[in-house]
Amino acid sequence: MAEKVEAIQGLKSQDRSIADEVQQAVREKKPLTIRRIITNEYFLNIVSMIAFLLVWHYAAASGAFSGALCTPWQVVEQFRNLMTDTLAGLTIWGHIWASTQRIFIGFVLASLVAIPLGLFMALNPYVDAIVKPVFDIFKPMPPIAWISIAILWFGIGEPSKIFIIVIGTFVPCLLNAYNGIRLIDPEMYDVIKVLGGRRRNEIIQVSFPASFPAIFAGLQISLSSAWTCVLAAELVASRSGLGFIIVQGMKISDTSMVIGGMIIIAIVAWLTSLLVMGLEKLLCPWKRGIGDL
Amino acid sequence: MDSAAINPEDRPTKIDVKSLTKRFGDLLVLNDISFNVAQGEFLAIVGPTGCGKTTFLNCLSKLMPTSAGDIFVDGEVADPKKHNISFVFQEPTCLPWRTVRRNVAYGMEIKRYPKEKINQRVDYMLDLVGLTDTQDLYPNQVSASMVQRITVARAFAMDPDLLLMDEPYGQLDIKLRYYLEDELIKLWQTLKSTVIFVTHNIEEAVYVAERVLVLSNKPTKIKAEVKVDLPRPRKLIDPEFVALRKQVTDLIQWW
Repeated sequence: MAEKVEAIQGLKSQDRSIADEVQQAVREKKPLTIRRIITNEYFLNIVSMIAFLLVWHYAAASGAFSGALCTPWQVVEQFRNLMTDTLAGLTIWGHIWASTQRIFIGFVLASLVAIPLGLFMALNPYVDAIVKPVFDIFKPMPPIAWISIAILWFGIGEPSKIFIIVIGTFVPCLLNAYNGIRLIDPEMYDVIKVLGGRRRNEIIQVSFPASFPAIFAGLQISLSSAWTCVLAAELVASRSGLGFIIVQGMKISDTSMVIGGMIIIAIVAWLTSLLVMGLEKLLCPWKRGIGDL
Repeated sequence: MDSAAINPEDRPTKIDVKSLTKRFGDLLVLNDISFNVAQGEFLAIVGPTGCGKTTFLNCLSKLMPTSAGDIFVDGEVADPKKHNISFVFQEPTCLPWRTVRRNVAYGMEIKRYPKEKINQRVDYMLDLVGLTDTQDLYPNQVSASMVQRITVARAFAMDPDLLLMDEPYGQLDIKLRYYLEDELIKLWQTLKSTVIFVTHNIEEAVYVAERVLVLSNKPTKIKAEVKVDLPRPRKLIDPEFVALRKQVTDLIQWW
């Protein structure tokens, strides 16, 4: 049994060092060779970006798109113009703010209603039985299909755009909150039941925290849906926002304005999703991996 | 060691299981099972796979209603709201959103122990199972053996009337299992809890328990009772240990 004792003594120190070993292996320095530079992830990222810009530039310069494609440099120039010149009374910052504001209002309104409703449906079978059939009718409808009715109801002002965003973000928010609770491992509840805990304990101690990650996944999906919706609404009828810039560019046949608008949307949408991610990190600290130790 | 030194028969009865029967429709799973567990006794229950061990535990812990018969704690019908019944499940059931420390405190929080008592008790338990250094980490940041140690510490922390364990180490490799079995015995000797340990590993049962109940195939009855009166720490190659292990193994094979 000497082996067993030895094994046991070795264990305690092993348990603690597993995380350190992983980190060390990652950080270990190797000599710099050409092979290492070429296979370096960041190096390859840069090569791919440069290649993309070059292909774009030559495609535009060759006139293959019959002049309807600008060069990357023209887009940069356009950015500079938009920053100082105004378009419908607003600089580029004003238009970015117009779209972001709509997203923010719609997104907050939808999640404030959809998340609690989804949680309620998952926790209470009666609420589920009442809400589910109506929700199932609206679920498969693409949010953009609502644009016409939104304009008829609310006109072409802000309310109709926010309405579209609410419609577009509502479904993924609700579904994820609902599934987040439905998919909890029943043994998590058994622990509380054995201890003689009440239903209230189960909901507060298990249901809510366990559904957090799913809710945040829903918020991310909602956010990208919100950007689709706000653009669609702005493309149809608007005097401000990033969708308006794209439409304006199309009307005056200025591709640099169209592409510039597209790039800004990508950047702003990415920034807003970082914001949601940051919020998740703040509220779900247990999702840290071993690397964050 | 003192509680282990006294013969289980001389200790007062803590748990009294009386003609426990469970049916699912026409299927009789548990057939009139009766036995006692003494105060502070370590009882192991072994049985062939599919003999209804999980159903048995679910009935004992009151997660599942029984068809007939009942479980008595100190002469009263067992009630999770009144009695402290702890359960260590086969799968680790740590709450991922609570730190190691708060996971250990979890059971006591549900039972609404006063804050000071919880803190004191958690400090003591963390020290006993060697988790003090990792108390502020989350379960996904510690190793698998530590996760099961958290749930064991949580179960013992409540000073349970009855501690049920459902193959808690079934999924660990043999090295860790040996280590955690020894730790479990140490905890039991220190805290003097009443433990029912269910497993299909005969060696494990004979290694940890004072008494082993052998279950029959379905419909499940108690087939035999084997007293394990060996000094601790027990040795797996001790001839007496081997003889007992063989005795239990033969009992299980003979159905």
